[in-house]
Amino acid sequence: MTPPPPPPAESVSAMMRPAPAFKDSRVNRDLLRPMEGVSLGYFALLATTLFFMQLAGGIWIYQVYKGLGIAGYAHPVFWGAYIVTFVFWVGIAHAGTLISAILYLFRAKWRNAINRSAEAMTVFAVLTAAQFLGIHVGRMWKSYFILPYPNQRGLWVNFKSPLLWDTFAITTYATISIVFLAIGLIPDIAIARDRATGWRKLLYTVLACGWQGSSKQWKAHSRTTLHLSGLATPLVLSVHSVVSWDFAMSIVPGWHATIFGPYFVAGAIFSGFAMVLTVMIPVRRIYGLERYITDYHLDNMSRFLLLTSIIVGYAYASEYFIAWYSAVEAEQTHFWMRAFGPYWFSTWCMLTFNGILPQLLWFKKLRTNVPFLFVLSIFINIGMWFERYVIIVEGLSFEHVPAAWGVYTPSWAELGIVAGSFGFFGTFFLIFLKIFPVVAIAEIKELEIHERVHGEGAH
Amino acid sequence: MPTIVGIFERPNDVVDSVNRLKGRGFTDIETYSPAPFAEIDDAVIEKPSRVRGYTLVGGLTGVVTGYAMTIWMANDWQIMVGGKPFSSIPPYTIIGFELTILFGGLLTALGLFIVGKLGRKRNPEYSPRFSAEEFGVVVKCRDRDVAEIEAVMRDNRATEVSLVS
Repeated sequence: MTPPPPPPAESVSAMMRPAPAFKDSRVNRDLLRPMEGVSLGYFALLATTLFFMQLAGGIWIYQVYKGLGIAGYAHPVFWGAYIVTFVFWVGIAHAGTLISAILYLFRAKWRNAINRSAEAMTVFAVLTAAQFLGIHVGRMWKSYFILPYPNQRGLWVNFKSPLLWDTFAITTYATISIVFLAIGLIPDIAIARDRATGWRKLLYTVLACGWQGSSKQWKAHSRTTLHLSGLATPLVLSVHSVVSWDFAMSIVPGWHATIFGPYFVAGAIFSGFAMVLTVMIPVRRIYGLERYITDYHLDNMSRFLLLTSIIVGYAYASEYFIAWYSAVEAEQTHFWMRAFGPYWFSTWCMLTFNGILPQLLWFKKLRTNVPFLFVLSIFINIGMWFERYVIIVEGLSFEHVPAAWGVYTPSWAELGIVAGSFGFFGTFFLIFLKIFPVVAIAEIKELEIHERVHGEGAH
Repeated sequence: MPTIVGIFERPNDVVDSVNRLKGRGFTDIETYSPAPFAEIDDAVIEKPSRVRGYTLVGGLTGVVTGYAMTIWMANDWQIMVGGKPFSSIPPYTIIGFELTILFGGLLTALGLFIVGKLGRKRNPEYSPRFSAEEFGVVVKCRDRDVAEIEAVMRDNRATEVSLVS
């Protein structure tokens, strides 16, 4: 005997009704808007960055044809503007991971407004930097020689070389920052997917990987973010230390210093934050994101700039002090030449823009003064490029034997490719701006819902 | 099997209703939220996420690979410097460290896809409102429990309760 089927509950049929239309959230609307439509100004900017990128590409092809002779390399300086720019862009790349990983572990909620753009900048800056290694070695197509791969000669790379450490550090950093960016983007792409039409719908459906925000997914996602932050925190501190060891492991005066690790890391974070300000201040203004990237965020970023400027300034001072205190003539001569030799201009740019100008940020009025911050951030970018120029070029110019001294000037080809690197970075960022949300929507929403439930300022 | 979807506006209401439903013996519960809320995820899934195992395995694989690769290569292509041993452990620590992070990070990401069941079709109960600002609690139950679940949800300030199948 089979039991009769249970009678349907009375409320069941009454409950079977189409879901009413729902209200979309303001955060979604505000933060998806920058992705819609392209203005004339956007096209003009994209055309400019593309022009510089093409210019650099053209010069690079000419350099491949003519050889590295068209770069300004001349005895004794064989690490010039390309390596300077490589270190510069790796430095820029540090803000993203600092904001997304370290500030995440410290539960600094203000990072939410800027972490996405900073992570994207990290990825593009590392990609820009990596190209300079290929450009610098001349025969870019043989760059893979640096990797340990089985070959007919039975030869392996020498892992005692700092250049090998750098290869591994940069490759790991590029991979992990791409993973970090992608994982953070998944929930936001799902938001865009639910609201998009046409080709965007298809693109986001594929990229969202079936994200639906279930507790299973969020739980795994939060754990993944935590672990990636835990892994990326020592990584971000190590990458620029390893870059600095490219120099510090040698015996060149001005390079051979134990302070280089922390000195370079502080400088990297300093320049990275400056670049985030340079890029985000116009984006905030153009797309009306003032509600999300507030004065409070600018103030916090300025404090970071001030802190790292003091660390960098301290490093400059201690370099001079140790050179004097060491009583090593080569060191002393090197640092004398820095300030008063042929590269005095670069040195004073570096000291003024990185050590002195940012001290203005002690004033709260200036920390929230947007035009001032924008101008200051550009000065810091210039100053940080000159810092690397001073360290790298100056070190090689005045080594131990005065008879072997020589002065380097970047050639037109080098300057063109350096300018082009900004075009490359800018092009990628502008395209990113139109395809992905530039502010982490889900994380902003978390704060907003929290505030709605617990009242203003509860977090 | 009936599937009931309750719509909520506040994360704490979701937590309360999940806890009460679980207390009454309903186990097939899934929630949908527009942003990460640890309290909701912990209420639905009590155990820590299995992603941590992936990180551990990845990290350990990385550190072993880093040291093994460098030591083996140094001995396979020997460079004699002043009669010192071919492999030199301190600099190889850097490679070991970088590969720990690299493998650990990649496996963590893989863990997210496997544990979070990404790369599959969305559940039929999913609605774009869960990527706006509302929360969903979805319970699969027997026909006779529908009224009880609805009462629990409404009692916890559900703005809407509907039966989708």
